[in-house]
Amino acid sequence: MTAEATALSGPRFPVARLRGPLILLLVILASYAVIAFGAGEQAPAQFINAVTIGALYALIALGYTMVYGIIELINFAHGEIFMCGSFVSWSVITTMGITGAITDIPRLVIVLVVVFLISMLVMGVVGVIIERFAYRRLRNAPRLAPLITAIGVSFILQNIISVGISNSVVTIPQLIPNTKLDFGVFSISVINVFVIALALALMVALHLFITQTRLGTAMRSTAMDREAAQLMGVNINTTIAITFFIGSALAGAAGVVQGLYIGVTVFNIGFNYGLKAFTAAVLGGIGNTTGAVLGGFVIGFLEVISQVYGYANWSEAVVFGALVAVLIFRPTGILGQQLADRA
Amino acid sequence: MKLRNLGVLGGIAALTLTACGSSATPVPTTGAAATTGPAATTGPAAGSIAVKIGIELPMTGGEAPNGVPTANGVALALAKIQVPGFTVTINQQDDAVNGVHSATQGATNIGTLVNDASVLFVVGPYNSSVAQAEIPVSNAAGLMQCSPANTNPGLTKTWGGVDPKTLRPTNPDKIAYVRVATTDDLQGAAGADIAYNLQGKKTAYVLDDTQTYGKGIADVFETQFKALGGTVLGHDSPPSTTSDFTSEVTTISGKKPDYVYYGGVTTSGLGLFRKQMAQQNMASTDFGGGDGINDGSAATASSFLQIAGDAGDPNTFSTVAATHDIPGLDAFNSAYKAMFNTDPGSYSAAAYACTQVFLQALKSVGTGVTDLAALRSAVRAYVATPSNSYDTQLGTLSFDANGDTSQKVISYYGFDATSKDWKFIKQRDFTQQPLGQ
Repeated sequence: MTAEATALSGPRFPVARLRGPLILLLVILASYAVIAFGAGEQAPAQFINAVTIGALYALIALGYTMVYGIIELINFAHGEIFMCGSFVSWSVITTMGITGAITDIPRLVIVLVVVFLISMLVMGVVGVIIERFAYRRLRNAPRLAPLITAIGVSFILQNIISVGISNSVVTIPQLIPNTKLDFGVFSISVINVFVIALALALMVALHLFITQTRLGTAMRSTAMDREAAQLMGVNINTTIAITFFIGSALAGAAGVVQGLYIGVTVFNIGFNYGLKAFTAAVLGGIGNTTGAVLGGFVIGFLEVISQVYGYANWSEAVVFGALVAVLIFRPTGILGQQLADRA
Repeated sequence: MKLRNLGVLGGIAALTLTACGSSATPVPTTGAAATTGPAATTGPAAGSIAVKIGIELPMTGGEAPNGVPTANGVALALAKIQVPGFTVTINQQDDAVNGVHSATQGATNIGTLVNDASVLFVVGPYNSSVAQAEIPVSNAAGLMQCSPANTNPGLTKTWGGVDPKTLRPTNPDKIAYVRVATTDDLQGAAGADIAYNLQGKKTAYVLDDTQTYGKGIADVFETQFKALGGTVLGHDSPPSTTSDFTSEVTTISGKKPDYVYYGGVTTSGLGLFRKQMAQQNMASTDFGGGDGINDGSAATASSFLQIAGDAGDPNTFSTVAATHDIPGLDAFNSAYKAMFNTDPGSYSAAAYACTQVFLQALKSVGTGVTDLAALRSAVRAYVATPSNSYDTQLGTLSFDANGDTSQKVISYYGFDATSKDWKFIKQRDFTQQPLGQ
């Protein structure tokens, strides 16, 4: 599933294992250069904007890529899981009676932990339920059936939220105060720092989980060859359920981030974000978690770059044009495996 | 196994049915100021002809603060004014799809209203982009529309080199569209008036949401602001589906304008834009918009002021293409409040006026006529005649040969921190006081 699998047979310096992060670093440096050229003294601020929104896309893209890697299903309901996560965070925050930023640090930490835990848990469980009832029976069906089921589930989720909660814009109180940290050359808001740090922490935690734990190995083996994994004693149903749980929990975390960073949510934002995150996952190499992260940041950079150069109303064309270009020249995505490698 | 299958299927069916069932009757958003749509009146009185007035407005989701108060204006007028020999009820249509106005849905709705033979007149639409899709349809059918809120000049006059007759290919000389709101060539100028004269700002940054109304009014603002002597530092067009304006705001903050003018409607994300301006230390920069952001107080669900939030509200201005100081303002406000338990919206009085236009036309041409098709075309012909004048809630008005109102008044509003609502500043009659004087 990832480049890590070939590390054992690679050269002594683990270039193969580091291929993903190296390309990511390259992309970040190149993007900074492009932004700096267009934005001048605004470059640091715009760069931070790009990294933050890229982190958000990456969190959502991870869920897409994990599910595709394990059962080869593009879970179109994933964008809606992100949207539901933002609404769960909204209801938790309003139930706790919070109406604005919290300046008392210990209280802020406690509230954040509570909101994140509840949102991630609820969305993880919802993901598992969706898998259990909508996708499990269709595991061996022709590819079109689970795809259409996923689209159906996405509409169901949208409808539940639009009728059950609200069909217009809902404002979420932004918990983290908008304090600016001044570093002379640039200033960065505490919110941006938190979002980027959290996204990176979650990505690293996921990577460690996949590579170092037994369950992670079970997930990777199921992705490689389901029958062989079953023969080795891996419980396929549980493994797939856990994959959905983690992917949906990450989308739930992304939903909370949406509330912290942007502060509004609507029942239909899942479509737009989901599409961009799916693009990110495919761009980076679907089935490859490092690729999803890479793709997320690439999309974030492309959006900001097109805005900086004055082509804001072409940003969607730029993003999807990049997707088409990458797929033409490298059909499996930037970090994707060559198809011939899969037996 | 089979029983479990049935159980799962039944569960999903039940879920879908409840979702479908409850979404069949769209309810406007929750919130202190929201009200339900106008209620249907009782059946026709004996001996009177049952006719309908169509309402074609965006009623649900983010558009509810726009459409619902406007539709209520129609209901209020029908409750207050009777035409002998006729019982008028409402045929309500909603052109909001997923909470945002949709031109294609609007055109479909006009088709529905055309096919209802008892509909003699339509009040709507609210958005200029929707009107562009609807005018050809209503024109072909000869069904008169009166918009309380459309402001794009191109709907009735030559604008940007385009002849409005291209919008009515079937009957180019028999107009089926009038409006009581004045046009954006004046509203954009009013925006420039606020920025340059009222606030004394010399540099501005202009944005539009790429839609018909937003682009039109922003372009006029830019031209007029320059004509007054100001400098426009840039003009951007973020797509109306933009969900994050942070990099746009960063770019603008680098240019350091004194005033930011954004032509567009709240559903294109303007509230979020203003909020993100505040987050990036631009809260004290003046922000102006047209009637697209004048959609209720900070307590109204999904209004511009609510989304912009406390930090984004200060020194924000908007305009409305309607007279504020209408004759009998207090009486209208209390009558509206008595019926709907909330304050009227920016275009409630305008919708009331449109209904009065219809009722006056019906009274004039309707005596003794029973054929609905004949009534419809007689109403159209009456309203399309420029020599007719109407005594309405907005004052005395008439329509010119293009369908534009004789009233050329723009009202100015600014954010008031105490009431957290738009506060009326003044109004300007552009016939008596064109810009530049």
